[in-house]
Amino acid sequence: MPTMNQAVSNPVIDPVIEVDRLQFSYPGTGSRILHGISFTIARGDIFGFLGPSGAGKSTTQKVLIGVLKGYDGRVKVLGEEIRDTRSGYYERIGVAFEFPNFYSKLSVLENLKLFRSLYTGETEEPIKLLEQVGLADAAHLKVSELSKGMKMRLNFCRALLHRPAVLFLDEPTSGLDPVNAKIMKDLILERKAAGTTIVITTHNMHAAEELCDRVAFIVDGQIKLIDSPRELKLRQGESKVRVEFMEGEIRKSEDFPIDDLAQNERFLQVIGRHKIETIHSLEASLEQIFIDVTGRTLT
Amino acid sequence: MMILNDIRFQWRHRFYFVYLLVCSLYLLLLHFIPSEYKETVAVLLTFSDPSALGLIFAGGILLLEKDQGIQDCLFVTPLRLREYLLAKAISLSLLSILAAWMIHGFSLGMPLSPIRFTVGVMLTSSLFTLLSIGIVVRTQTVNGFILLSQLFSFPFALPLLHLFDIGSRALFVFFPTYGSLLLIGTINRPVSSMETIYAVGIMMIGNTIAFLWAKHSFQQRVLLGITKGKST
Repeated sequence: MPTMNQAVSNPVIDPVIEVDRLQFSYPGTGSRILHGISFTIARGDIFGFLGPSGAGKSTTQKVLIGVLKGYDGRVKVLGEEIRDTRSGYYERIGVAFEFPNFYSKLSVLENLKLFRSLYTGETEEPIKLLEQVGLADAAHLKVSELSKGMKMRLNFCRALLHRPAVLFLDEPTSGLDPVNAKIMKDLILERKAAGTTIVITTHNMHAAEELCDRVAFIVDGQIKLIDSPRELKLRQGESKVRVEFMEGEIRKSEDFPIDDLAQNERFLQVIGRHKIETIHSLEASLEQIFIDVTGRTLT
Repeated sequence: MMILNDIRFQWRHRFYFVYLLVCSLYLLLLHFIPSEYKETVAVLLTFSDPSALGLIFAGGILLLEKDQGIQDCLFVTPLRLREYLLAKAISLSLLSILAAWMIHGFSLGMPLSPIRFTVGVMLTSSLFTLLSIGIVVRTQTVNGFILLSQLFSFPFALPLLHLFDIGSRALFVFFPTYGSLLLIGTINRPVSSMETIYAVGIMMIGNTIAFLWAKHSFQQRVLLGITKGKST
């Protein structure tokens, strides 16, 4: 099983975010939230921070977006040490918080125009962004008239207004129904395809599995593990397939080793003679791996 | 640009409409005041008008922004805190100037010194706007804000005593609102150049201190408050 140190020692080609021994305590509290975490994120990757509430993932993200600057250690985003950044840093990163908050008395388009006016660099045409996320028809509706799914898409648009090189998304699929969650995931993957580096904070394992190139498990202010979801699932899972089949009127289930499956007589017999209901490989779920590694659940 | 955004926000939340009603009430009140008291009452109203507007509206705007969860979104853009605060002060000063001229235009006519009068209203409004921002970030509720705003603003009302010949001038010269009363008093009374320099100077000092206090308070209580959110 890879440990934090092993994960960190893996060199990342063309890193956009480099964090080395990051420690953080909120002023006046005395208790440390982050205990020397280290990681790097490559250009164009989607990187996910996974952890239960209170684990330190949001604090890590707040350091990365320059809201918390009183940290110890080294935190570089796009080559800039975060504690030295000024307001120009926000011309280069985009942030979408978990709650899609807007000026409720202004329309969708007015909100985007207002936020666009705060940037000095090149920006996108708001209406074009709205078209891309399927909100063009809602451009003149007040934000208070939008559904949660529409607000989340608008939240995403706002973060993209200034064509940021790095995008920070906090719980991007939170509270969305499966259809809207799928739309959000597709939008995120489109940005990745366009070359944007994306950092996601979430406790939604399924979203992380589908979106992230690499994930970090954070618990108690420490990174317990960093790897790609696919690698983790394969390595932590069992090398078996489970076949569910009908033997007469009885539903049965048998596991077979994946190795030499084509020569496994019993397997061939089962699939040849019985009505097959399901066949699944038994890789571990990311959620189960998280529980195994951290001893904690995500709720 | 943020000034225009703030004006739009105030317009959409009907602040201008509310203030049109307030101005109408002031005009009605002035109409029924006997002419020998009219000018004193006008000074009193003109002083209380931008003060109350800055004090109550700025707090109200921040509470509305907080309620809509706007502030954390604003401060992950290139917007600087000083731009945010100055936009509030300037946009509400413009509303104050509009209201003050409306009241005087329709009741007493042109002030003796229109420029001094306008500067007085503007700096009074911005002083109370900044004061209000420093106050509102210390509260969670509307009631708490109203209570605290009365407490904090009370000392600034003390120079009004001099308007009624209570207390000597020396007692009040260090209050920025004494400068307000001098400039707003140009409705009916000329002031010398020295008095004007003093009044503008003391109000600028008051505005600077209020700005630094509001900035520090906002930084500590709102921006750090964002960072101390429930999720870690």
